[in-house]
Amino acid sequence: MEHARHVFRAALVVLVLLAGVGITRGFLVPPTYGLHGPYRWANVAEQMSARTPAHRGPAACGTCHEDELRRRAAGAHRAVSCEICHGPLLAHVAADGRVTAPQVDRSPALCARCHRKVLGRPAAFPQVVLEEHVDGPLDAGACLACHDPHAPTP
Amino acid sequence: MPQISGFAFPNDVHVWWSLMIVMYPYITGFVAGAFIVTSLFHLFGRAELRPVARLAMATSFSFLLVASLPLQLHLGHPERGPLVLVTPHFTSAMAGFGMLYGGYLLILALEVWFVWRREIVDRARRSRGAARAFYATLALGTYDTSPEALAVDHRAIAVLAGIGLPGACMLHGYVGFIFGAIKANPWWSTPLMPIIFLVSAAVSGIALLLVLYQVVSKLRGRPADQPCVSSLARWLWLFLILTLSLELLEILVMAYERSDSWLIISELITTRLELSYVTVQMIVGGLIPMILLAVVVLMNRYLHPRVRNTLSTAAALLCLLQVFSMRWNIVIGGQLLSKSLRGLRSHYEPELFGREGVLMALALVLAPFAILWIFDRVLGIDPPGQADGEPEAHAAAAPGGAAATGPGLGDVHP
Repeated sequence: MEHARHVFRAALVVLVLLAGVGITRGFLVPPTYGLHGPYRWANVAEQMSARTPAHRGPAACGTCHEDELRRRAAGAHRAVSCEICHGPLLAHVAADGRVTAPQVDRSPALCARCHRKVLGRPAAFPQVVLEEHVDGPLDAGACLACHDPHAPTP
Repeated sequence: MPQISGFAFPNDVHVWWSLMIVMYPYITGFVAGAFIVTSLFHLFGRAELRPVARLAMATSFSFLLVASLPLQLHLGHPERGPLVLVTPHFTSAMAGFGMLYGGYLLILALEVWFVWRREIVDRARRSRGAARAFYATLALGTYDTSPEALAVDHRAIAVLAGIGLPGACMLHGYVGFIFGAIKANPWWSTPLMPIIFLVSAAVSGIALLLVLYQVVSKLRGRPADQPCVSSLARWLWLFLILTLSLELLEILVMAYERSDSWLIISELITTRLELSYVTVQMIVGGLIPMILLAVVVLMNRYLHPRVRNTLSTAAALLCLLQVFSMRWNIVIGGQLLSKSLRGLRSHYEPELFGREGVLMALALVLAPFAILWIFDRVLGIDPPGQADGEPEAHAAAAPGGAAATGPGLGDVHP
């Protein structure tokens, strides 16, 4: 062992190096990295707080439009969010509370997105061949002339 | 703007992995290949390779020091080089390379230290002032060069070489894995890729040492050791045969299977890569050196040393070209085809200047030789007993016969 002193010194240098790597890693790797996958978990909350959500969901609309919310919840469009036709809530009510008229999409193209006849859709789902179903031009509001989007009936 | 033939997706028309990504496996290949040569001597008792054993180890070390630079130049984030070493994890392919690179660097640095320890101690004893402090620090403050201490060194070198060889193979096999594991690209995605990379690394390492040994012999003003040249040529021939066979078999399997991807790969090979694949990789860099090396190996006893040196060096230079074109065809070729498998983009032409240009690639290839020169000035690369220009005594260097030229650590056999 007397003649292996240099080996122990080399081993000590290696240990110091490995310890250096371990300590440096401790400083460099963010604490929440790898908590739920190969990303920094704290970044999720940071990104959420850095941006104001544009869409808030039907419950937020219901704080002012309770009647419409109740009618919608009782009808066939209960699974369709208000913001699909009325646009994002943030465009209607700004972050500072200022209210502007929402840009409502009344086009038959929007209705047709779900209700155009497509072979792959379940037969029980209400669907039509638009050009045969509407007697007249397919202008904005053509569908709404007969159907109430908040409580649609066939 | 690149010219598109067939149908290509809009995001498939860029060559993001540039010349630097070609240089990355090329340089890493020298690391593994040179280490295989030194292992043939240190581990497998190929005594005729004694004249290049130390040169091979120093070459492997020098190339390893620059192996990650192409990636850093490509990324434009030099801090990520050290970061990948100190933040190991298992969630990305490059992090895996960082672990293999770091581990192999540690093993090779230790092996270099044990092999050159006696020289370090001798120079520490001979030097004065700052040089003495430098060598004393390198020697870690212990000056024990007794036969017992040297025997300990021998054992340590054997153990480290035993770990280092699989380490070197894994390091370069892993580079092949990085390409082979990209399943969206049929030109890359084959389990043969790591094996082809590894075997071609052996070709490039042995070829480089053949050329380097001839150059070093010229510079030192002494004739190249012929058994050593013959042996290097023989090993180079073997690995070239293996490389070419595997590269051809890979294509043959694809062609025979007539898989979906063959439609585009056959077009890629016969149009965009016709020069670099068919002409350079397979004929100029493959078939011709294979014939030259066959002459060197099969007619060895009839060859004049000058003819043997010339033929083997010419073959080695062509092999270096073959391996470079293979890296080029893999890296660049894989980006010329669209993931639609129905379209190709036009050739990629690297820039001359700039961070990823041709001049930078040349600088990257030359940098290890500068490191090698410094290595030689600081520690000396020649085997013990030849540093002062005396003729090489290869015949005495058979396993167990190293004492004839002095019991230097470069002569170590397990």
